[in-house]
Amino acid sequence: MSTERAGPDRLRPLAVASAAYALPVFFIVLPLATFLVYSFFSVDHGEMKFTLTLVNYIRFFADPVFLPVFWRTVALCFAVALITVLIGYPVAYFLTQLRGRQRYLVLMLLLVPLLMSYVIKIYSIRAILGGNGFLNRALIGLGIIDKPLTFFVFNLNAVLLTLTLLLIPYAVLPLFLALERVPAALKQASADLGASAAQTFWRVTFPLSLPGVASALSFVFVLAIGDFLTPQMVGGQSGFTFGRIIYSQFGTAYNWPFGAALSVILAVVVIVAMSLGSRFDGRKRRG
Amino acid sequence: MMENRRALWPLGLITALVFVLLYGPILVPIVSSLFLVQHGLVDWSQPTFSAYVALATNEDILSALTTTLVVGLSAVVLSVAMGTVLALYYHSGTGRARAVLQFVIFLPFLMPPIITGLSLLIFFREIEFERSLITVVIGHTVFVLALVYRTILTRLQSLSPSLIEASYDLGASGWQTFIRILLPNLSSSIIGGAILAFALSFDETMITLLLTGTQSTLPVRLWAMMRLGFAPDINALVAVILAFTTLLCLAAVRFLIPKDLLKVGAEV
Repeated sequence: MSTERAGPDRLRPLAVASAAYALPVFFIVLPLATFLVYSFFSVDHGEMKFTLTLVNYIRFFADPVFLPVFWRTVALCFAVALITVLIGYPVAYFLTQLRGRQRYLVLMLLLVPLLMSYVIKIYSIRAILGGNGFLNRALIGLGIIDKPLTFFVFNLNAVLLTLTLLLIPYAVLPLFLALERVPAALKQASADLGASAAQTFWRVTFPLSLPGVASALSFVFVLAIGDFLTPQMVGGQSGFTFGRIIYSQFGTAYNWPFGAALSVILAVVVIVAMSLGSRFDGRKRRG
Repeated sequence: MMENRRALWPLGLITALVFVLLYGPILVPIVSSLFLVQHGLVDWSQPTFSAYVALATNEDILSALTTTLVVGLSAVVLSVAMGTVLALYYHSGTGRARAVLQFVIFLPFLMPPIITGLSLLIFFREIEFERSLITVVIGHTVFVLALVYRTILTRLQSLSPSLIEASYDLGASGWQTFIRILLPNLSSSIIGGAILAFALSFDETMITLLLTGTQSTLPVRLWAMMRLGFAPDINALVAVILAFTTLLCLAAVRFLIPKDLLKVGAEV
């Protein structure tokens, strides 16, 4: 029995290892590598040229169209991240003050909308903000305005507002985890030494929660900048973002290499944002 | 922390407001699905199920729903199988190669979906693989893999190694140990991970949009419909989908979160 098992037993680790590596390499590493190489190809008169060139990257930096949209998108997504953190912080703090079942229930209620259809939420928010939407009708009904506002529909404000509404729970989670990690002993010590509740918060709790703020900011920023559905659906003509430009390169513009180059730039931004977020987080957590 | 109590009610107020913001947009289509909408105006006088009847006979939507279920179930089966193998492999040793492998698995989950979708799109074109439901399933599997892997690995790491050693000591083979010891202990995390993976796949739009051939899944179909404008049966569909995803969410939570979270709650 034991001699019979020795053969397969020696082979098994090798089989498991190759099974473990083969598929991720084939379906993750190879596609990403192809995509990176593609960004150095070009299109000339509707025809792909398979020689390596920097022309796509040069076009991004030289053409006056792309950089402004790029920076505007970065600023927009940072604004979304900042607003969600400002709103999420009190919610996360409130959560840490709740006990047992109460805390569990409120946390659950925050998480449920995350699994609800993203497209549907965009659609509903548009229905509320739209010219003929609930918000405008309610404001007219209350006599606050007499003509529907167009401030919130088919422009960058609409994108900002919709993304903020969609991403608040993603900000609350890291903030909650960071606030929960603040040792109760430190807060008690602060109170024992005569600090008021506000002093304890600003001198002890808040500084110790900053890593959570950093990871919440980077988390929301990354989710916002990768999204092209929201700007496509609520952005309209003036709500053009970087994600939409990338998407259009694979559709109407049909310039895949340029689209790939723009996505590589997007990936670089995402990597920078994530490493900024996690560096801050990692250093503090180990301490 | 007694002195914090007084400061708590404005925080509670903000939290309540956030819940209005989170749930308000979800409630609007559900409520309007129960009333007649004509020329963009809602007739509030009497509730009706006509939108649901229209939905049940909409061939387009029913076929999109079937596609979504097929894609979701395939992606779940594949990602659970791969995720289990990968988690067991990662857990069985150490080394740089394993760390790199883990990083690779996480990439599609961490990167924006548009990048995962585009890289697969370009890759499939290069190896001359037609866009079809198979490419969509691969895209979804790659996307949800990290989540399934993570849930299984977390449970695996919390298992006592003596359990496995005891099994070997009692003469069980590796396969027997896997079937009799590991699998039963991992089952709730596998089921929980599978439900979450299904929920993610059910909602996945960006990758699907890029990888799909002629057949579209429900979110992609919805996306196309919503860009054109509003129709009453969309509201009904929205209500049905929301009810379904809420159930999925609650089921996933039942399998994954309660133990750990209630423990945290009890410690405080």
